[in-house]
Amino acid sequence: MGTGKTSLVLRFVKGQFSEYQESTIGAAFFTQVLSLNEATVKFDIWDTAGQERYHSLAPMYYRGAAAAIVVYDITSMDSFVRAKKWVREVQRQANPNLIMFLVANKADLEDQRKVGNEEGEECAKENGMSFFETSAKTAQNVNELFYEIAKRLAKANPSRQTGIKLHGRTQETRRRLFCCV
Amino acid sequence: MYGTKSKIDLAFEYQSQIPVLRPSIHSRRANLTVKFQDLYGFTVEGNVDDVNVLNDVREKVRQQGRVWWALEASKGANWYLHTTIGQGSALTSSLKFSALANAITLKKLIKKGIPPVLRPKVWFSLSGAAKKKSTVPDSYYDDLTKAVEGKVTPATRQIDHDLPRTFPGHPWLDTPEGHAALRRVLVAYSFRDSDVGYCQGLNYVAALLLLVMKTEEDAFWMLAVLLENVLVSDCYTNNLSGCHVEQRVFKDLLAKKCPRIATHLEALEFDVSLVTTEWFLCLFSKSLPSETTLRVWDVIFFEGAKVIFNVALAIFKMKEDQLLLTHHVGEVINVLQMTTHHLFDPDDLLTVAFDQIGSMTTNTISKQRKKQEPEVMKELDQRIRKLNSLKADNK
Repeated sequence: MGTGKTSLVLRFVKGQFSEYQESTIGAAFFTQVLSLNEATVKFDIWDTAGQERYHSLAPMYYRGAAAAIVVYDITSMDSFVRAKKWVREVQRQANPNLIMFLVANKADLEDQRKVGNEEGEECAKENGMSFFETSAKTAQNVNELFYEIAKRLAKANPSRQTGIKLHGRTQETRRRLFCCV
Repeated sequence: MYGTKSKIDLAFEYQSQIPVLRPSIHSRRANLTVKFQDLYGFTVEGNVDDVNVLNDVREKVRQQGRVWWALEASKGANWYLHTTIGQGSALTSSLKFSALANAITLKKLIKKGIPPVLRPKVWFSLSGAAKKKSTVPDSYYDDLTKAVEGKVTPATRQIDHDLPRTFPGHPWLDTPEGHAALRRVLVAYSFRDSDVGYCQGLNYVAALLLLVMKTEEDAFWMLAVLLENVLVSDCYTNNLSGCHVEQRVFKDLLAKKCPRIATHLEALEFDVSLVTTEWFLCLFSKSLPSETTLRVWDVIFFEGAKVIFNVALAIFKMKEDQLLLTHHVGEVINVLQMTTHHLFDPDDLLTVAFDQIGSMTTNTISKQRKKQEPEVMKELDQRIRKLNSLKADNK
């Protein structure tokens, strides 16, 4: 709900940012390819609507996902509380091998910060997640986040590659990624 | 009403500013993308062919306007209101006959489109909004907006957040005046029905209603009649259960009406709700060009929510060949998005929706909904119970 999920994905996929991003209804779909030394990871990204009542649709998006990013806004404690709820829901209901990331977005708004870095880090640690502070606006840490996801995915299940073989030795793997809160 | 009519009218004047582009082989080859403003002031991107299609649509709208004017001249200004046959009334048989004839004319006419200038008047009476409004004191809307001024609720907070994110860049909607008008309509409705409050998606619907109706009050009543009488109940409440029901009904219909597509998408593990949820919640306003969306709404307000199914099925049907060639979820979404974004000629869509899909009665759809409801409720309930047990674990 305005935490910047779509902005984060658009920064990664198109390298663009707009201050007023249309609110997402249902979910939006994006793809992006990342080449690592060891593998090429092809992301299918489901970027979901933020409002709480839309959560009832979420299972459709995280079904079969390999990774999930839970995003909150550092200027809103409310969004952090909702992020924790999401973490619990996804942990309980999604694929048990799902790799989860906690992302604190809008890091450029330091002067309006309401959620401390340590709080985010601690929450991530408790739940066995990786933690990133990002800014879709300034691009801070956005590529790093997706590189890390790609690396973890490539390492976690190199045998579960289902995609098409490319020329050469690299393999393409489709990874479904789910973005929420 | 809110002194911005001239602003909205401005949007319509853009029509005349659109250059007539002749498609040359070169431009087609180059697939030149141009940005232009459509009939309701939205900036759209398309190629030269799209611009020409839109110009043809403008001409068709003008012709359609002449048809409506001619009917008004021969049958009287509000002829379309006299289309229901009074039961056991003292109507003479010739009057009954003319009412029936009018009803048939009207149904056909509405599928061909209501001219934009007549839309506010025709929508307001045919949808039942006028009747709804007539049951409360004249000052209802003004009193309501005054009474809720300055109140802060979760709904108003979400509305404020979404105002600049509703069709950003639109020449009227994305101005302080546009924001204020949209805010008043949405906030007023959130207090009228606290079960709905505010649901994301309604911002797009209400914005388009404002553009068409031109006064806040009429837009408000159209929103009310839409949510309370036209659409399935609980479409926007709490856990969107009504929307879940519609999605299941739609899946069944797709399997029946477009079995090859349904089988293919199932093999790709593509759940059609991934795209259709937005169509149902925003009534296509985020996917189809504005005039095409409003042509769909013309029929929705007259014939009911079953029309959404016809139109959604038509979008799949139109691209059957392409869809059957897809290998991956992303491709499916691409085909559907490219299709909807470029449907500048409403007749292309509506012809398929009503002539090829075949008619479905509201009764059939209602039966399907009843059939799906228990399963949806069970699923939603299970999800909530799981979440609650989770909370208990954590405590």
